[in-house]
Amino acid sequence: MDYLYDGSFDGFLTCVHRHYYAKSPREKAEGIFVRDAYRGDLVRAAAFIETDAEKANAVNAAIAEKISGFDLERIYHVFCTETPEKEMKLLRYIRLGFRRGPGVGLLHGDPIVFEIQKAQRRLGTEVNRLCGLIRFSVVHSAREILYARIEPDNDVLEFLAPHFTDRFHSDPFIIHDLRRSKALISYGHEWYITELADEGLFERAADEDEIRALWRGYFDAMAIRERINPRCQRNMMPARYWKHLIEMRGE
Amino acid sequence: MESNLLDKLTILGESAKYDVSCSSSGANRAGMGRIGSAACAGICHSWTADGRCMSLLKVLQSNDCVYNCRYCVNRRTSDAKRATFEPHELADITMEFYRRNYIEGLFLSSAVRISPDHTAELMLKTLCLLREIHLFNGYIHTKVIPGVAPELLHAIGLYSDRLSVNVELPSSGSLSQLAPQKTPEHIFAPMRQITRTQFEQKTLRSAGNRDRFTATSASGWNAEAGDGFLEDLKREVAAEAGMRNLPALIDRRKHYKEKFAPAGQTTQMIIGASPETDRHIMKTSEALYRRFSMKRVYFSAYIPVVSDPALPPQFAPPNLKREHRLYQADWLLRFYGFTADEILTEDEPNLDYELDPKIIWALRHIEVFPLEVNTASFEELLRIPGVGSVSAKRIMQQRRIRAVRYEDLKKMGVVLKRARYFLTCVGKYYGEKELEPVYIRDRVLRESREAAARFSGLPTVADASEMANLPAPSVNADVPLLDANTIRASLSGTKNGAQISMFDALAPAEAGG
Repeated sequence: MDYLYDGSFDGFLTCVHRHYYAKSPREKAEGIFVRDAYRGDLVRAAAFIETDAEKANAVNAAIAEKISGFDLERIYHVFCTETPEKEMKLLRYIRLGFRRGPGVGLLHGDPIVFEIQKAQRRLGTEVNRLCGLIRFSVVHSAREILYARIEPDNDVLEFLAPHFTDRFHSDPFIIHDLRRSKALISYGHEWYITELADEGLFERAADEDEIRALWRGYFDAMAIRERINPRCQRNMMPARYWKHLIEMRGE
Repeated sequence: MESNLLDKLTILGESAKYDVSCSSSGANRAGMGRIGSAACAGICHSWTADGRCMSLLKVLQSNDCVYNCRYCVNRRTSDAKRATFEPHELADITMEFYRRNYIEGLFLSSAVRISPDHTAELMLKTLCLLREIHLFNGYIHTKVIPGVAPELLHAIGLYSDRLSVNVELPSSGSLSQLAPQKTPEHIFAPMRQITRTQFEQKTLRSAGNRDRFTATSASGWNAEAGDGFLEDLKREVAAEAGMRNLPALIDRRKHYKEKFAPAGQTTQMIIGASPETDRHIMKTSEALYRRFSMKRVYFSAYIPVVSDPALPPQFAPPNLKREHRLYQADWLLRFYGFTADEILTEDEPNLDYELDPKIIWALRHIEVFPLEVNTASFEELLRIPGVGSVSAKRIMQQRRIRAVRYEDLKKMGVVLKRARYFLTCVGKYYGEKELEPVYIRDRVLRESREAAARFSGLPTVADASEMANLPAPSVNADVPLLDANTIRASLSGTKNGAQISMFDALAPAEAGG
């Protein structure tokens, strides 16, 4: 049977709960999908699982207690990635975890664990990359703020928050995820994530273009002609990020 | 004004780009009510067209040099465009770049303008502006000018995360040949001072010394005198910014613990401009790691930017393959528990261009292998080609729960196309034939060529066949004026050409201190 849920982490945990408490083998999960993206077929039955905070909390607590806090975090990280069929991969990991206990994360050779490690690493890689690759512009709204646009593969906003909040706590800033129409808004030591459509909200500050020209000029001067190696550059800084990189003539 | 600034930035960036280090690692520091932070692992912000990471704003304070080092673009006799940053210009650019997240911090170097001390003062003023007026808390790497006064160096160290003094060349003979104004003593004195100050900082960190430490005793100079000078500078900087007091002074007393170069020191040498062998270079860097607790020794393949009869011919491509192999050997020194003598022997003083130094070592010591992955110690696992520190750690972890099977190895990150010849897994050997160095070398080489051919459409530095054809500039007959053997003999002081590190000459001074 296919489970459909609303796309939230609690919704997914409710599905896990349902799987464990299914009355018959027919009602066990064969696939878990976000309802809006589901394309069913005629053969398999599908049921929408209503998100239930109480059941979700029970699963949450069970994972933390019987597997480990480390694995709970890992499960959440993987949930925030765009891994294909991540829900079923996670369910298999959770089941293995309940059988093997806290050592499950160390079974590097197991294909179930391997998949999850790989997905988690992808998230970590992207967060690390974006810590460097985000480019702010100084814009005017009611006051001067820093504004950056990104189109990341994974849902990384909340993982970027601690780093940038610590670094720029005296400047208010916005990191706008255009793919998901979400934005991280931060000022002082506080931050939150909210929905934000892309509607050319802001006006660039007067000296913004001058600073950009300085940066571009400097960037071009730094390449050593005798060592040019575009493939290496692209490996380190994938072309899909260039759109928003000032030095790569983005934006 | 602005276009003028762009000119300055490109000229001074252009001149700084041959400095290799750009790491922003080693210091960990949260915001602390200031602007910026430092992450221990370092953060790369961009990559230039040559594929090198750009993390720090790497510029010279000035490229108006009085020295005449033969390999350098900025030498006095070259007709390069000259420029000098005013401290406030550079501080402003750094801040504007930093808040837009273009950079992780500043890498400040300089040519010697007027004198080492004059230059250092200019740099110090830039750092003071950044830290005290702009309250900049990001990463700062400062290059120390050889021959600088110890008081200035101490003050610069307190503002910097990382310091570096370039050894420039792997031996004192080459140094006097190519950079006659820089003497070994000018280079090693600041290195020694940095190492000692850090050692004192570590040992003196007890209750009474939390905020201050004096470096009077061991380093043999008066830190207090240097501090008075620093206070004067701070007052001057504050007055210029139109402030009566520095905002950070109160802040510092409360939260900010003065630290001298918390991310340690590094150094850099040019490879291929002088005739040293790879073994000599590795011995030198090993000595640097041991004696000065260096965080890194960087190598930069010589790029002929100026023509000089004492240097390899202009337009020769930089020997990137050699640089790459040296870095691999450097990693073996730092993370794999190898010594320089193990990596390169007297009989084979140069690294193999075709295969990496670790597999070469393994082939030379084939009697140790194969190792059983389920019983070998961590140190032994690290010696297997294709097993790195991460995969060795994973093997150790999984062994606690269950035996490691051959199928698991790949998932743990082991590179089987090399490793399989050197290990057994649950008693079984997976190399095709017997354990025989020549055969294994052949196989590994063929496989790596096939892999390279698959990417052949794209230009790559690692293209073994192309790079292998390049002449090694190290012991190169094309070098006029210099005869490799006479130089080596003059360096070592012996006639049989035995390699003695330039650091051996310093040994008595070191032992005395």
